Amino acid sequence: MQARIKFSSKRFLLALMLCACSIILLQNDDLAADTSFTFQLLGILGGLSVCFVLFLPSLFIKIRTDGDVLQLAERCTPRAKLPLAAVYSCCFVYTALYFLLPYTEMFHTKYFPEASPCLITVVLLACCVYAACKGVNVISRFGVFLFAFALLTNILMFGGSVSEVDWGHCTFALRGDAGEFLQNTVYFVTPAFIIPIFACLSGCVSNFRLRQPVFALVFTGIKYAAVIFFICFALGDYSRRQGFQTFLLSRVAHFSTFAGIESFYLALSTMAVFMILSLLLCCITKSVGRSGELRPIILFTGIILALDVAATYLDPVREVLTNPLLFVVLTVIPAAVIPMIWYFIGRKSNAPKN
Amino acid sequence: MRRKISIVLTIWSVAFSALLLTGCNTSRRIETAAIIENVSVNRQDGEIIYTFYRLTDDEKPWGVDVRADSLEEACALAEESYIPHFSLAKLELLMIDEDVYEEVMESDIDFISTRPSFSPIAYVTLCDDKTMESFRENNRAQRVIEEQLILLKNHNPDVSINYLSIFNQFAREGEESFTVPFVSSEKELKVSEFEIRRKK
Repeated sequence: MQARIKFSSKRFLLALMLCACSIILLQNDDLAADTSFTFQLLGILGGLSVCFVLFLPSLFIKIRTDGDVLQLAERCTPRAKLPLAAVYSCCFVYTALYFLLPYTEMFHTKYFPEASPCLITVVLLACCVYAACKGVNVISRFGVFLFAFALLTNILMFGGSVSEVDWGHCTFALRGDAGEFLQNTVYFVTPAFIIPIFACLSGCVSNFRLRQPVFALVFTGIKYAAVIFFICFALGDYSRRQGFQTFLLSRVAHFSTFAGIESFYLALSTMAVFMILSLLLCCITKSVGRSGELRPIILFTGIILALDVAATYLDPVREVLTNPLLFVVLTVIPAAVIPMIWYFIGRKSNAPKN
Repeated sequence: MRRKISIVLTIWSVAFSALLLTGCNTSRRIETAAIIENVSVNRQDGEIIYTFYRLTDDEKPWGVDVRADSLEEACALAEESYIPHFSLAKLELLMIDEDVYEEVMESDIDFISTRPSFSPIAYVTLCDDKTMESFRENNRAQRVIEEQLILLKNHNPDVSINYLSIFNQFAREGEESFTVPFVSSEKELKVSEFEIRRKK
């Protein structure tokens, strides 16, 4: 029912942009340590260029059919509905855990070492179930509020760190090799997780323009560049001594006697992860053909929770669920491969028959 | 309607249990007396003494002396033997006596850099024996020193006044020395610069 109500594409892309921007808050030694700032900028450029290429099939489908890949698949190949739902739900569950695990780790190590990570997951997932029941439209409205809050947090974080900037901490010279470039690029491909969300839910939005995703990626790049700049030049070598460098940046930010905005950081990262998980749950229910229904949401939330508990206590499970290369593979399949296949199938079925 | 009520009740029960399990119980309550505001390091009778000054409104600082070779050891001992629920999250100033800085400064800053609970922008300064004495006697000395440190930083941005900048200075390669603040107390508290040579 919720999927049939169309809302502004701008609002939807704003929510996706915030999700893409905010995941750098969970950056935890993912970038190659001995690379210079300029070299990391090249990584951002490379990663976001890959993201744009991955965006193209879903954009073509949206522009051509004004629908999403699931609607197109249902129309062209009704028999493929089940395998498609299985692939999409598997990828979305993996993506949800890929962000949930670093978030609970950050919360556990930086704020409440005594609290059980599983408890944090349960509380967050309970909120996400409620949001997913409300639908994409309501979540994207929350994105507008989050945008204002993210702007305030970023102004405080960057403005407060300016006094600690020291040009001697890092160099502008290109320093790094091909392996390090690949490592950085793989990390900066992470925002591509918004593409499968767009591919699944873009049928709910109207007034779509090509410039909207381009702007979202450019803004994400600027945000990443700003964070990397302050990590390199305000934190310097200190940033490598602890995990979650953006958290450290929020602790360093200060205006005269007002010091440390880590509570803003925690609030922003919590709301960002909440929005990502809620959108992913919406995508899962849409892919199984039951948008907004409580039962499938509860079922998949239970699966996410079970895997999260397993990853908390079993290191091999955790390694698999937080593997960046596997994440990229499981993002590329629903983001580009499946939409591309159905784009060509759709064109073929619409082609005039001789 | 019934569904909405059940969802609201579920959220409330989860939130309530979360509060109970994450910090709203008496066992996790941190007494104000356990919050450490300043730490000083000096030598007494040939041994290194770390003094943890607790947060207080009194005129006279409330310090606990711990004999240890490093801040890491001193923190462990303080928590174990002297101050239960010991917290360094609000630490504002680390004062190191000029006699002991060569032995403890680099290793202590290195230890601090690995602890998320320490604020990276807390002040670090060297001082002489008289300043250490006046710091033990009067709670106002800390405010005066912090004001002087800010003035010094405004006057000379190259001087390293906090953990973050001092750690980065120790880690930096190429330059031979860097400056940190030095508090002396001949007639009144005065902050000047002190040059520290890096180990090669």
